[in-house]
Amino acid sequence: MSEHLPETNYLDPGLLQRLGDLELIAREVVEGLRVGGHRSPLQGFSTEFAHHRQYSPGDPIRTLDWRVFGRTDRYYTKLFEAETNFDCHLLVDASSSMNYGSGKVSKLEYAKFLSASLAYLVLKQRDSVGLSVFDSEVRAYLPPRSAMGIILEIDRLLKDIKPTPKTSLAKQLHDIALMMKRRSVVVVISDLLSEVDDILGALEHLRFDGHNVIVMHTLDPYEIEFPFDGTWRFEGLEGEEPLTTQPQRIRDEYLAGFGKYMESLKSGCVAAQIDYTVVDTSRPLDLLLSEFFNERETTMGGGSPTARP
Amino acid sequence: MSFFNPLLLFAALGVALPILAHLLARQKVKRTDWAAMQFLNRNVRVRSRQIRLRDIFLLLLRCLAILMLVAALAKPFMNEADAVPEGIGERRAGVVIALDASYSMGHSDGASTRFEQALEKIDAIVAGIHPGDPVCLVLLGAEHQVIARNMAFDPDLFDELLRAQSPDPESLDLDRVPQILNELVEAMDAPQKEVYLVSDMQAGDWGDRPVWFGEALATLGKSASMNIVPVRGGADNLAITDLELVSGVLRKDTAARYRATVRNYGTAEVANVSVKGVADGNTVDTKIIPSIAPGESETVSLFVHFRNSGAVRMSAELEPDSLLEDNVRRTVAVIRDEVSVLSVEGSPDGGQNFITAALRARGGSGGGENFAVQSVPWIDLPAQDLETFDVVILQNVPEITSEQARLFENYVRAGHGLIWFAGDKVDAAAWNKRSAPDGISLLPAVIEQTVSTGDALGVGRPLDPSMPDHPVSRPLRSLPEDLLSETRFRKMLQVKPSATSSTIMSLAGTAAPLLLEHSVGRGQVFMFTSSADSSWNNLAVTPVFPMVLQQMVTYLTAREFETPRLVGDSLSLSYVDEPDASEAVFDTPSGETISVPVSEHRSQYVAMLEHARESGFYLARVSLQSPGLPVAVNVDTSESDVSCLSAAETALTFNGTEIRVAESEADLLNAVEESRAGRSLWFHLLLVGLGLLVLESLLAKWMSRRSESGKKQTTPSAATPESV
Repeated sequence: MSEHLPETNYLDPGLLQRLGDLELIAREVVEGLRVGGHRSPLQGFSTEFAHHRQYSPGDPIRTLDWRVFGRTDRYYTKLFEAETNFDCHLLVDASSSMNYGSGKVSKLEYAKFLSASLAYLVLKQRDSVGLSVFDSEVRAYLPPRSAMGIILEIDRLLKDIKPTPKTSLAKQLHDIALMMKRRSVVVVISDLLSEVDDILGALEHLRFDGHNVIVMHTLDPYEIEFPFDGTWRFEGLEGEEPLTTQPQRIRDEYLAGFGKYMESLKSGCVAAQIDYTVVDTSRPLDLLLSEFFNERETTMGGGSPTARP
Repeated sequence: MSFFNPLLLFAALGVALPILAHLLARQKVKRTDWAAMQFLNRNVRVRSRQIRLRDIFLLLLRCLAILMLVAALAKPFMNEADAVPEGIGERRAGVVIALDASYSMGHSDGASTRFEQALEKIDAIVAGIHPGDPVCLVLLGAEHQVIARNMAFDPDLFDELLRAQSPDPESLDLDRVPQILNELVEAMDAPQKEVYLVSDMQAGDWGDRPVWFGEALATLGKSASMNIVPVRGGADNLAITDLELVSGVLRKDTAARYRATVRNYGTAEVANVSVKGVADGNTVDTKIIPSIAPGESETVSLFVHFRNSGAVRMSAELEPDSLLEDNVRRTVAVIRDEVSVLSVEGSPDGGQNFITAALRARGGSGGGENFAVQSVPWIDLPAQDLETFDVVILQNVPEITSEQARLFENYVRAGHGLIWFAGDKVDAAAWNKRSAPDGISLLPAVIEQTVSTGDALGVGRPLDPSMPDHPVSRPLRSLPEDLLSETRFRKMLQVKPSATSSTIMSLAGTAAPLLLEHSVGRGQVFMFTSSADSSWNNLAVTPVFPMVLQQMVTYLTAREFETPRLVGDSLSLSYVDEPDASEAVFDTPSGETISVPVSEHRSQYVAMLEHARESGFYLARVSLQSPGLPVAVNVDTSESDVSCLSAAETALTFNGTEIRVAESEADLLNAVEESRAGRSLWFHLLLVGLGLLVLESLLAKWMSRRSESGKKQTTPSAATPESV
């Protein structure tokens, strides 16, 4: 794999090697899904032959290359460029709040790893991937492409992100929704620290446009568990007034409030048929993705979108 | 302020611990960036300042408590009580009490003795001592006895110890007092030290002390508060200073005359002083001295008739006066059935008749002959059993065999006497060779040559008593001088006295020894360097000869234990041969039995009681079962002069030093007050420290509870994320 890819900052070859057998399985049938892998209503859209691959059970029989079978007695499926027109939009929140990290990796760093990994996966199954980076506004928009070279552009974009305080997450999602021409799989990678109603409104906008929305709610373990002890001074990353307090005394209140917020978000996503996943930045990325795709695979086949913790 | 344990002050560095803990706790207030600010309850933020203030307050309390506890452990001591408010601190001190226990302290002025007065003074001194404070009690005498050394003061125990003491029959060795006091002060663990020397300030002891003594006490005063506490009394005292046998032979059925000397140490004349002569507890004679002038001595003769043989405890006693200890003087007389003398004549025409005549000079006057004299020529000497004779006189014996020399040595060593007279037959070389067979010479001098001591007229030189107080020469003092000067010596042996001999008489005008004496074992040997006949001198034909000869025989028949000892002397018991028992036994006058090991020194076996502490008759026994020999022990009458330094003299003695003299009760209380000026603060600091710790603990708990209740109050208003 590495001979095809120049060295990048966020694509750990070791990590991607372990992710090699995973497939991104969309919950719903998305227009232009890969042939064999996805049940697409627009099959045969492109006739440009790309290459062969060995037949797998489930592949349409009509795509078998009988000539090759006649010569070799082996089944090969013909693949065409048009089969990779499944678009995946990665929306990465680069606001200041994403800059928090209790360990070595901040949420934004983790989001970069995550988005790069996802982009590579999508490209590997010859789908198109695009990237949008937003904070207080849409900082970058990379239309979806299936050429492997795009991953280098994604990498460069992610590297150049300078977090700034966001004003409204919903507004940016609305703007991005307007930019996307085709129905796509939209993966939102964000801490979603904003008004729950605004967030849900924006996500529903995407859903309304026919996108298959996956929310990867990226959170630091400290935000989930709030394990502080002693006396701490908390300085808001979004320009809030600092607070010096004894966290152990407000932990219960924090956990209750945070739990309520999570619950609201989760239930809102489920109601809007949005796939919701909590990304704990302390967990290994490969393990997280494995669990994520396994879960999607088990629920494939028309099941209703679910929320995963 | 001084500290008893100043090194413990380093523990005050421990105050850094709570400060460090506080600073570390402060460092834990860390900052962090935070994204989910909307979920934090801002109502709690106010409490952090309160916590800081509370922490600082509790920190101060903890630090103060530690400082107080450390200071308490270091035992601070304020040397000046004025610097400490009344009611704070305790007066604490280490006290050394030196009590004069010489027998002059037993002097009574009618109501109480000086010793009893001293005990009352000590009661006042110890009244202010706290239980547990270090206390030393030393009794001063010839040998100082430390009764309590650094004892934790217990009033009851100390009082019991004190009341068990009494004056010793000893004199006071004041020279060693600064040394013992210094030792006790140095060894005492106390921040402030006091020394109280309670004494009757006897003029004989304290008057005209050498400069170094004052300096030693003054030096002691730098490390301790030095106080002299005098207890005075009158000077009136009669004492018997001497009791001696002046005439008579200590033989059964004879009478002897003892002379008792009574001295009036007081300042007033004393009339009708009764002196009793007591033998074995029976009054045998009583004499009245009509009057004794102050500072003078009078003598009385006490006659004793000895009816039985054996040891007789003799004493002269006065009627009880203000000081009892010196009213009795004791001695021991060993009475024999008879005194037998063997006279050995070397020359058939020599001085045998002179010797026999001299020893029988008083024969027939009363109770028979004083001495049973047997005369033999020297050639018959081997046939004689020497043990049947008390004294052997060798006169002009040419020589003796080695065997005879050994016999004579054993004879003398067993406690008998030998008198050796020179003469022209004497073979000097043979005597020199054979009289010293084992390196221990039988004779007290080595014979060199015969010399003529005659003057130009050929009449010779008279004798001169070199030791006029020796019992042999003592009777000569009563002779008229012209009679003594008529004794003339024309010829004598030139001798070289041995190191252990002493010259009792010598030739007048020269140092040439005429009569020498030395001890061999338990016996004595007299060596006369001139003859016992008229060939070399005219002594034998003068009245001096019988006197001297009888005195020598009487002296030689006396036993070593007849010589009285003084309190503090050692008592020794010599053995002829190696004893069967390894220990000798001494019974003290108070009935105590003391076992003493027998030690061997140069083939002589001696048991020695190092220190006779009581006055009276001791009984020395070679073993527990054997009959004893009484030994008289008397007090040293140098202590009998009980006159004291006056207050002015005492003040003058310690003028210019820091030594305080507490003459009166008020002075003593004042001295105690001033000496114990400092105060110990450790107990109060300990209480304060512990109190602060308790206060800190209670406050911390109370504040914690208050915070908890405050938290509960804020919980209902805790905002949801949206409302935050």
